[in-house]
Amino acid sequence: MKVLRAVVVLAVLVVAAYLAYRYLVQPPGRSADTITVYYCKTDGVTLVAWKVSRDPRMDPNKVAFYATAQALAGPPVSVEAIRFPAGTIVKHVDLSGSTATVDLGGTISRSAGGSFAESGEFRGLIWTLTALPGITAVQIKVDGAKVATLPGGHLELEQPLARSSF
Amino acid sequence: MSSNNPWHVRASRHFPALCAASLALLLPIRSVAAPAPAYWFAGTNLIFTKAQTHGGELAVALDDPSLARFLIKLNATVAYDPGSRLVIVTSGDRRVVTFTLGDTRFENGPLLERAPFAPYAVGATAYIPFVTLAKALYVVPVKDGATTVLQPQIGGLDVRTRDRVTTVTLSSAVPIRFKRTSPGGSERLTLVFSGVASTLETKRSIGGSAELRGVSIQSGGTARNPTTTMTFDATPQTMHVLANSDTPNVIAVAFAKSGVGLSGVPIPDAGDAASVIAAAPRPSSSAPSTESSAGPSDEYAPVGSEVPAEAAIPPPPLGSPVVVTSLDLLPADAALNVRVGVSGPVRYEWHRLTDNRWYVDLKNAMLGIPARDEQPPGSAATGLRVRQLAGDQNPTVRIAFTLVSPRQVNVVASDNGFTIAIGGLDDLEPQRVGTGRVAGGMLIASAPLANPGDLWSTPAAMLHPIVPTNPKLIVIDPGHGGSDAGAAHNGLTEKALNLDISKRLRAILVARGWQVEMTRYTDTDVFAANGSAHDELQARCDIANNAGARMFVSVHINSYTDAALNGTTTYFYKDSDRALADAVHRRLASVGTADKGVRKEEFYVIHHTTMPATLIETAFLSNASDASLLKLPAFLQRVAVAIADGLGDYASRNPVNATSTSDGS
Repeated sequence: MKVLRAVVVLAVLVVAAYLAYRYLVQPPGRSADTITVYYCKTDGVTLVAWKVSRDPRMDPNKVAFYATAQALAGPPVSVEAIRFPAGTIVKHVDLSGSTATVDLGGTISRSAGGSFAESGEFRGLIWTLTALPGITAVQIKVDGAKVATLPGGHLELEQPLARSSF
Repeated sequence: MSSNNPWHVRASRHFPALCAASLALLLPIRSVAAPAPAYWFAGTNLIFTKAQTHGGELAVALDDPSLARFLIKLNATVAYDPGSRLVIVTSGDRRVVTFTLGDTRFENGPLLERAPFAPYAVGATAYIPFVTLAKALYVVPVKDGATTVLQPQIGGLDVRTRDRVTTVTLSSAVPIRFKRTSPGGSERLTLVFSGVASTLETKRSIGGSAELRGVSIQSGGTARNPTTTMTFDATPQTMHVLANSDTPNVIAVAFAKSGVGLSGVPIPDAGDAASVIAAAPRPSSSAPSTESSAGPSDEYAPVGSEVPAEAAIPPPPLGSPVVVTSLDLLPADAALNVRVGVSGPVRYEWHRLTDNRWYVDLKNAMLGIPARDEQPPGSAATGLRVRQLAGDQNPTVRIAFTLVSPRQVNVVASDNGFTIAIGGLDDLEPQRVGTGRVAGGMLIASAPLANPGDLWSTPAAMLHPIVPTNPKLIVIDPGHGGSDAGAAHNGLTEKALNLDISKRLRAILVARGWQVEMTRYTDTDVFAANGSAHDELQARCDIANNAGARMFVSVHINSYTDAALNGTTTYFYKDSDRALADAVHRRLASVGTADKGVRKEEFYVIHHTTMPATLIETAFLSNASDASLLKLPAFLQRVAVAIADGLGDYASRNPVNATSTSDGS
């Protein structure tokens, strides 16, 4: 009886170990598991796409959150790009229908940048999010609330932005 | 398990160990709340009060005050979204490090790495492996006796060659401070970075660059006060400058042969990355203001204080109220037309709210029919209310709809009044507010609109019946003002320059026979000091909308963190305003700085004004060349003349009776 119990326990452990092994060595970064992140060049007009890998298990909300964080960070620092103010963070992203609501915080709530920067920053973010399946518009919030504009007072953020907004 | 995937190969080799690890994972995991080890960092001990040891490693709560201090020193930010289980850290040099709760793997920029344990949550608090995070942020624990020192590193060195310029970009865990020890003008550039060590390879040859042969790196100093010396071996006759960066954790040195245009600043004997970053626009009370120094010059008539605020054109006096005599509902498939009869000319203002309510207020009007509250026929709207809003002093009739979706709505003049035409389609970019004036009994269409459906087949030009109540009036909006200084660079403030140019523009336009109103005449807020951006900007729109102006021009100066950018940009939003922007920009493009073109942007004041509107970004305050121009009264005058010429060009090509002066929707 003791031998049988030991065999059963061992079998269970081996199965569990195999499952854990499969989980742990799941090959990362399949070619399809990338998202396209856009940034605006410093000419203020040209959008450039770059790919970043993502965890294939991310659900759409996570992907949108991750894409937003990538767009806020921008491309590698050696690349000239119009960037959000350093210290801008994404607090929450919510998908509802075809609209992504992005709640930003940090430096941007105190930012009073020029129209040039605002335009390039949000152009890249909106293009990044609307490149994700099913998202056509982006509602921006700052610290949980809708705002008419950033403190600098240029780009209108009260209504959802779409690619056609630019 | 044969596979070319290195992950598979490595995993197969370590299968027994993985089995053991997996079995261990099946056992209960104990996170122990124990006194966390103290780390020395940047002159202080970091003592984590919200930390646990997890398998011998330190797990720190995201809301631990010491972690917050640590991240602030690094110029890093953290975002945690409990719903998505993601912890996203953005380093000071703009890399994204992404942890997922319950997963040992994490993404460090483009690399997939593994932490000793998976981040986890206790209640609403997430705990992350601290040392793993620190290393990802280029901070390495180093033993110094019994103390563990968190030592910042220069962790990134990127070399790019483009257009005969080689740029070396260095990324550091902390904001960069340096001294130049090589003589100025030398081909060999040596910089000593204080407070940071380096894990980079000590010698790096640069291939494919005609300007730079290589970089050698030497670490020195102590564990608590490390230094890194970098020597850049440039080729003969190569110049170098500090190129712009937008974060103090990054410094970029550009090398080019003499004669090749280099954008940047000479490398000082000592400095920091922050000093070469064009500071973010900040109002500075000590900054000299051109507002008070905008004195007369030989080239133009002084416009200093000659225009008092009281000179604003008053609204036309109210006469006897008009009477709303009828209101008929005419459904047409998915559309609905509401014909409103009025006894005389009436001004109106409509608003679209975000919840699909739409209403129009008829000014100085009395309701001559019973108030109504009903569900209209058809499928375009679910509710209709008609009521008298105010008493004898300012009588207003409000007609309000609850739309089923953001439907297109147009106000068009019709027989003995006007028609509110609610379309069967949604307006993808709906306007939020509009004003206008219709004359009772005056027809815009050539014949009465017998068939309501015709409204939606009417040419677009016919749907713009609103004419400016004052076709000689131009409203100038000097951007910012009062508590909002706008951009501030190079000893100049945007609000002062905007006002200076606007006053000059006003003087020129008045001399040419226009009536001109400005949204502000002094350094003041238009709505209220420290009011919301919405209130402030809407107040500027209201001035133009309520005055029934012919044109609206908002004057601004641009700025950006990259001091190399310069030029003039002219913006429009409504497609019908493109012609105005083009006309103004055609004149502005030759004032002396670069031409950055005409662009469409959803800027508030050119969206919510109902007449042709444009916003001008004259030049870049943050650019030394543009700033020097902006200090010249002659340049400001050239700008004002160019804008006035452009407005004149537009007006002459678009006489009022042929112009769509409002979108009408």
